[in-house]
Amino acid sequence: MRYFFDLVFQNAISGLRAEASRGYLGVLWWVIEPVMYMGIFYIVFAHIFHRSDEKFIMFLLTGLIVWKWFQATINTGSNSLIANAGLMNQVYLPKIVFPLTIIAINTFKFLIVLILFLTFFQFTSISPSMAWAFLPVLILTQLLLIAAVASLFAAIMPFFPDLRVILDNILMMLFFLSGIFFDITKFPMSIQGYLWLNPMATLITMYREILLNGIPPDWLQLFLIMLFSFSILLLAVWLFNHFDRIYPKIIR
Amino acid sequence: MSQNLIDNNDTKILSLDHVGLYYSRRLRFMKSTRYWPLRDVSFDLHAGETLGVIGKNGVGKSTLLRIIAGIIAPNTGKMMVHRPGLRISLISLGAGFVPYLSGRENAILSGMLLGASKKEILSRLDDISAFSELDGFFDQPVNTYSTGMRARLGFSVAYYIDPDVILLDEVLGVGDEVFRNKSTAAMKEQIKSEKTVVLVSHSLPLIREICDRLVWIEDGKTQAQGKVPEVLEAYLMSIASVTKKRD
Repeated sequence: MRYFFDLVFQNAISGLRAEASRGYLGVLWWVIEPVMYMGIFYIVFAHIFHRSDEKFIMFLLTGLIVWKWFQATINTGSNSLIANAGLMNQVYLPKIVFPLTIIAINTFKFLIVLILFLTFFQFTSISPSMAWAFLPVLILTQLLLIAAVASLFAAIMPFFPDLRVILDNILMMLFFLSGIFFDITKFPMSIQGYLWLNPMATLITMYREILLNGIPPDWLQLFLIMLFSFSILLLAVWLFNHFDRIYPKIIR
Repeated sequence: MSQNLIDNNDTKILSLDHVGLYYSRRLRFMKSTRYWPLRDVSFDLHAGETLGVIGKNGVGKSTLLRIIAGIIAPNTGKMMVHRPGLRISLISLGAGFVPYLSGRENAILSGMLLGASKKEILSRLDDISAFSELDGFFDQPVNTYSTGMRARLGFSVAYYIDPDVILLDEVLGVGDEVFRNKSTAAMKEQIKSEKTVVLVSHSLPLIREICDRLVWIEDGKTQAQGKVPEVLEAYLMSIASVTKKRD
């Protein structure tokens, strides 16, 4: 077990180091890239849609940061077994190492951006509240959700390579439906019911309630997301165990 | 290796029992064919011996090593490991090398991927560095290495990982002449000592020199196994008859 976590850790560190030494700017990319990403949305919304009020910008950025962590990890994580075809044919490794490595790398990058974002609040009229103390719980819940979804897709992708395209489009759809650009609570109740089925919509709203309004999360909902994520993760772990020594035969 | 030791069941550390394996080839939607490189392979591996596997190209020798290494599972038959916790490593040079990382970092990562704990590798890092003869390059990114240098690093890591069972797939003889002699000598030394080795090779002189026993695989089946001269003779006879038929 210790070896297992050491391995994920070493793998993740190596991945991060390799990424940092690739370009001239190195480590700075972990900051520049998300700033560029958010900058695009800022320009589009502030200057094209004329929504440059502080409250909306912070509302938008919160959603974007949280979403990006989810989306980037699912995207790379779901492909992680296929991407490591060569390696898994050379040495035996528990296959869940591959998505977990991706999750560790992306979580590290997310935390950097989050810390920067929280410091950024200094320059706004929104002041930190006691509710910010609940942030770690929310982050852990999202981490569990990400781990579950990324692992599940990583486990089934080798059998259905065509799923890649479908997944890309599902992520695109969720990007628009998770309430990153709009407030779901302002929709008619009949539509809201469907939108809340997406755990990311619930989580994004919770992040905003904590950060912008100082309102603690709804524990029951949080618990339900954890339960949902945990069952998916169990399914993924079962798949990984069941096909552990079959994957290298399929992906070559 | 004396004959009585081979017959002794206590030295058995691993056995293959009627092992068969197929690969699926996807044709179109929901349609695939099966290709069986191995159909019925059985043999035992004893502690301390060097077992050679021979057969023509494409008879599934590499697949067999991957089954023994636990990378893939057989579809029929069984592979049994008689000693729990046995560390079996398929020596693949440069397993998991990351281009932008230094030789040192890659040695740590590659060593861990081959099954060693981080502590073990860190304690052997100086030996690995010295053996690889990379000198200043050890702390340079591996994408600045030549093919030979990569192979040297890979071999040095694999050599110092020191598994219980070494699986070799034609990897003796990497690097330049000097390093090749050195690495071959180092491997042979390990092989001749109490190490358990399974070796796939087409080099008959090498097989004659270092193998204690041979297994000959043809058409996915064990055709013969036993003492080196006898199996080798049968194998060469069959090749000769095939060559004659072609003429």
